[in-house]
Amino acid sequence: MPIPLYGFLQGDTIGLLILAEENDTLQTLARKLQDAASLRVAGRKQVRVVYNHKTMDTAITVAQAGLQALDRFDVIAG
Amino acid sequence: MLSRDDWLPLARKLDWDYSYVREEEVFPEVISGRPWLPHSEWKDWEESFKTSYREYVDNQYEKDMAVYAVRDAVGRIEDVQKLATPWMNSLKVHAAALPLAEFTGVIGNLRGARFGRDSAWRTMATFGALDEYRHTQIPLLLFHHLVRFDSQFDWTHKFYHTNNWFAVAARHFFDELTVGQNAIEFHIATNFVLETGFTNLQFVGLASLARESNDHMFERMVTSIQTDEARHAQIGHPVLETVMKHDPEYVQYLVDKWFWRNWRIFSILTGLSIDYLTALDQRPYSFKEFMEEWIIDQFLRTLDEFGLKKPWYWDLVIDELDIYHHMIYASAYSYRATLWFNFVIPGPAERKWLRQKYPKYWDDMDAVWEQISERWRTVGPGPENELAVHGTAMPTFCDLCQLPLSAGTPRHNTARVLAHDGRKYIFCSEPCEWIFRREPERYANHQDVVKRVLSGEAPAELPKLLTEYFRLTPETWGKDAHHGSYAWLGPRKKSAA
Repeated sequence: MPIPLYGFLQGDTIGLLILAEENDTLQTLARKLQDAASLRVAGRKQVRVVYNHKTMDTAITVAQAGLQALDRFDVIAG
Repeated sequence: MLSRDDWLPLARKLDWDYSYVREEEVFPEVISGRPWLPHSEWKDWEESFKTSYREYVDNQYEKDMAVYAVRDAVGRIEDVQKLATPWMNSLKVHAAALPLAEFTGVIGNLRGARFGRDSAWRTMATFGALDEYRHTQIPLLLFHHLVRFDSQFDWTHKFYHTNNWFAVAARHFFDELTVGQNAIEFHIATNFVLETGFTNLQFVGLASLARESNDHMFERMVTSIQTDEARHAQIGHPVLETVMKHDPEYVQYLVDKWFWRNWRIFSILTGLSIDYLTALDQRPYSFKEFMEEWIIDQFLRTLDEFGLKKPWYWDLVIDELDIYHHMIYASAYSYRATLWFNFVIPGPAERKWLRQKYPKYWDDMDAVWEQISERWRTVGPGPENELAVHGTAMPTFCDLCQLPLSAGTPRHNTARVLAHDGRKYIFCSEPCEWIFRREPERYANHQDVVKRVLSGEAPAELPKLLTEYFRLTPETWGKDAHHGSYAWLGPRKKSAA
């Protein structure tokens, strides 16, 4: 069951709804958001995922990070 | 026979003491508004225009004739076709947003005409309702006949009857402001905040923009409407003055709440029209300059005059003058098929102008436009490539204002999540969350477009969402007005050929 999340990519002008899988890594989640916003924001290789004001380890999964439906996450340069 | 000056005060003040019902039953608090006060507290309610019905009708007739004369002279379809492309699309925005919003003002004023607490107030609100009916009919008449040359003008009638995301936001705003509002809050929010604070002067500014754009029909229409606004906006002042004597904190809350709600809608309609949908050589000022000259100073003076403080989030409004409508326009351009009018990309000359007018955040906005331009260079111009230069993921919306989560800056979006009664809500900004927290019972059950998609009420696939839920068609949905064909973009990139 996909988990709807509010994704905010640094450099973008709008938040986007991203459908994540529990087993997606945060790296995958970041890529989904970057792909979704690529019309407005050029892709970056080095990014960080921020959730609940903390920079997360991008190797862990959405479930391990504790992301739940309709939470906010940010992808920022770094 | 009484002279006019002797007769009018008698005709305007027709209150009497009730003998077999209580005053609280004639004017229930739930619909007259709070604080509930006996009529003795309202009996000195007064406004400066003191118009009789006969004078009102004679005056309105003259104004209507002036509008029709201009329409006959310069309002033909061939006149409209000569307008610059960006301005034509500004017209489509106003054609959809204005007429039925004015009709909700009829309903609000009629509530004041029945449940206002003094007869002079009720008389004035009756004229206000007639004004707003006029403001509905004139733009419906003038804009809808343009559907014969451009089907996007069909949204003049259609807009508020759809679940288009912007219509959802506009309905959420006007339903609360006018349709479902008690008389006191309606007159403070609409007459004092919206009209005195924004639209009375906005219409002066819009008339000036229309004149610069050689659109004399629109110029005459908004000038004619503005003269009505200047009169009926006066209802709000004596209502506010009386409530201030008894509950100043409540008045301050209403002003803070409604300035923010008005600012959100106003900055989109007017900000986009001035800074993007007016041809560069026809822009008399930037949106920020317009706000500073016409809105900000006079509103602060008015607040001071009534013993009110500026809203607690005032610094945020000042900061948003530099960025909010730019965030919205770039987002809307990239989701233009969700709207009913066309867009233009700001080219190098426009971007130079925007950088000069908005130096604070323009670097970040410029990067967005460069990226969008690059996509057009890659896919090449043409109507067939519209959707290749378009967003595909679901955009997101605020649970209070229902507008896109486009507040803050590209570096930091200010959206914020709130858990309330077992549900999650997201707001574009601190003031939107603050309004929700003050009256959650009023807002908590409303679903934004994202929640409607997630619940299955609205389709998740973009084409179905556009056609079945937003009620657009490939013919009417928004496009790049030039389909990406801009000389300044240069040739298509060879790698994509």
